[in-house]
Amino acid sequence: MSNGFEVGIDELFVVNVARTIRDRSTVFHGVSSPIPMVAMYFAKLTHAKDMVYFGGVSSAVDPNPPFLPYTTNDWVMIQGRTAMVTVDKIFDLAQRGELDRSFFSGAQIDKYGNQNVSLIGTPEKCKIKFPGGAGGCNLSADCVNYTIWTTRHRVQRKKDRVIYTLVEKCDFITNVGHVTPYGNRRDLDLVGNGPDWVVTELGVFDFDPETKVMRLRYLYPDTTVETILENTEFRPVIHPDVRIMDMPTREEIELIRQIDPLKVRQLEFQPEELKRKFYI
Amino acid sequence: MGIFVERNKLTTLEEAAKIVKDGDIVAIGGGLCLREPIAMLHELIRQGRRNLHIVGTAHGFDVDLACGGGIVGTVEETHVSFEQDFGLAPNYRRACESGAVKIKESCCNTIINQLRAAEFGMPFVPMRSIKGSDEIRFHPEYKEFTDPFTGKRVILVPALEPDVAIIHVNKADVHGNVKIEPPYVADVLFMRASKKVIVTAEEILPEEEMKKIGPTIPYYEITAVVHVPFGAHPTSCYPYYAYDRAHIAEYMRAASAGPEVFKKNYLDKYIFGVKSHADYIERVGGEAKMQLLASWKESHEKWMELFTYE
Repeated sequence: MSNGFEVGIDELFVVNVARTIRDRSTVFHGVSSPIPMVAMYFAKLTHAKDMVYFGGVSSAVDPNPPFLPYTTNDWVMIQGRTAMVTVDKIFDLAQRGELDRSFFSGAQIDKYGNQNVSLIGTPEKCKIKFPGGAGGCNLSADCVNYTIWTTRHRVQRKKDRVIYTLVEKCDFITNVGHVTPYGNRRDLDLVGNGPDWVVTELGVFDFDPETKVMRLRYLYPDTTVETILENTEFRPVIHPDVRIMDMPTREEIELIRQIDPLKVRQLEFQPEELKRKFYI
Repeated sequence: MGIFVERNKLTTLEEAAKIVKDGDIVAIGGGLCLREPIAMLHELIRQGRRNLHIVGTAHGFDVDLACGGGIVGTVEETHVSFEQDFGLAPNYRRACESGAVKIKESCCNTIINQLRAAEFGMPFVPMRSIKGSDEIRFHPEYKEFTDPFTGKRVILVPALEPDVAIIHVNKADVHGNVKIEPPYVADVLFMRASKKVIVTAEEILPEEEMKKIGPTIPYYEITAVVHVPFGAHPTSCYPYYAYDRAHIAEYMRAASAGPEVFKKNYLDKYIFGVKSHADYIERVGGEAKMQLLASWKESHEKWMELFTYE
């Protein structure tokens, strides 16, 4: 609470996702990914200036858009680019093991980082249809690493049940995490190493090196280990050194506001979550 | 890919749509909110086509409209939504959840590699990156196989050769030479992999003009050409027009309210109740609307406004 500069959960979240991006890496985000879109652009302007930035489905190399749009395939996202490639070239890069990072979410995410973006029910008898994983099934296998994000970690309480996003077991695995019913990544001969970070609106996780189960690393100033446990169907590993995350600087927050005037970073949050404020 | 050498391929929406038969595998060009061949989909809905097997990567308005219009039997897409703007696709979800369409969900690189196999004239392509995912449950046709060179297990996916690709392009000439502004999404792959290709074009250029700018795809790969200005509306076709967010908002209200409301408030109003595509453009706001959607190029502020008006 140094000088009382107010930061929203959406802004803090963008910074957390951006922190998973390393400089000099090749990075791509897919469709329906407003937060990774903002985080990648932010990272490119701050700590990852030499990252190779593939601007989503439109596949522009190092775009410099005047603002960020409500969709990933608008011409805004190819403005100021160095070059265009076709999307198959990005997948080739991944297949060769040379795409360092991507970002995936899911309606269900299990303790090994598998994600369901497809459906509840079965392919023959579908109860709830989600949009589908786009490139996620392939890229989750091929990317060197990837970041999982969800803004829906907090459970939804319905009359007769509690709906978890972080579940013990996904009804359907669209994108591959560390361990699946078909085997682990080594058994499956996958090229990539799987998810290494999970950013939620309640905390930030990595994975336990031994068991490959999600492991709590950072809390927000207004969350606790109990908050995490109440809202998670499985029992995550708790790192012995769980800490409150480092706050971004005022300059960083101002940059996010400047590159994202339409506030696409807020679109994924429930309105009540956006009331959470932090001070730096 | 077929070879089409006719000198004049210019035809009407009505005639070109007849190339698409009931049950065909149809690749739809563009993607999400960009350059989707909406005028051609309108015509297929008007002509009452049935049981189409739609293939593509990430789509939105087009696939949702086709499902709501009753022309789809199978969807082999990787993602269908209105992204962060309007979210889940109502007609597509209903069709999947009721069993009206068969779900054959896939993944982008899988489809791209299948199209490339068709383009190369090969029967299948090996992949690693489907293993571990339940996506395999949508595809009994995939085969697991031991790579004879490394001894590792791979998945063989068959070549994907759509019967027809329908693609909206920026410019064409009557011979079928085609110019597309990037991003191409999967359009070039679709054209090379499909048996027939119908293009609808914003502009028809004299052949000499096309030679000067250089086509993205040469004439012999294209089956039919139709001149349809604003043929991608309400999705975008830059540099001509941005996507029509107000129209999509109206669409979403109708589609979210159920099939009866969707029929009455959308299909009857904009597809069955219009005489031509030009009539449709009048109904969605005519010249004034088209000028508004072209205002993206005036300034970044104008462009941003198009993302916020409803």
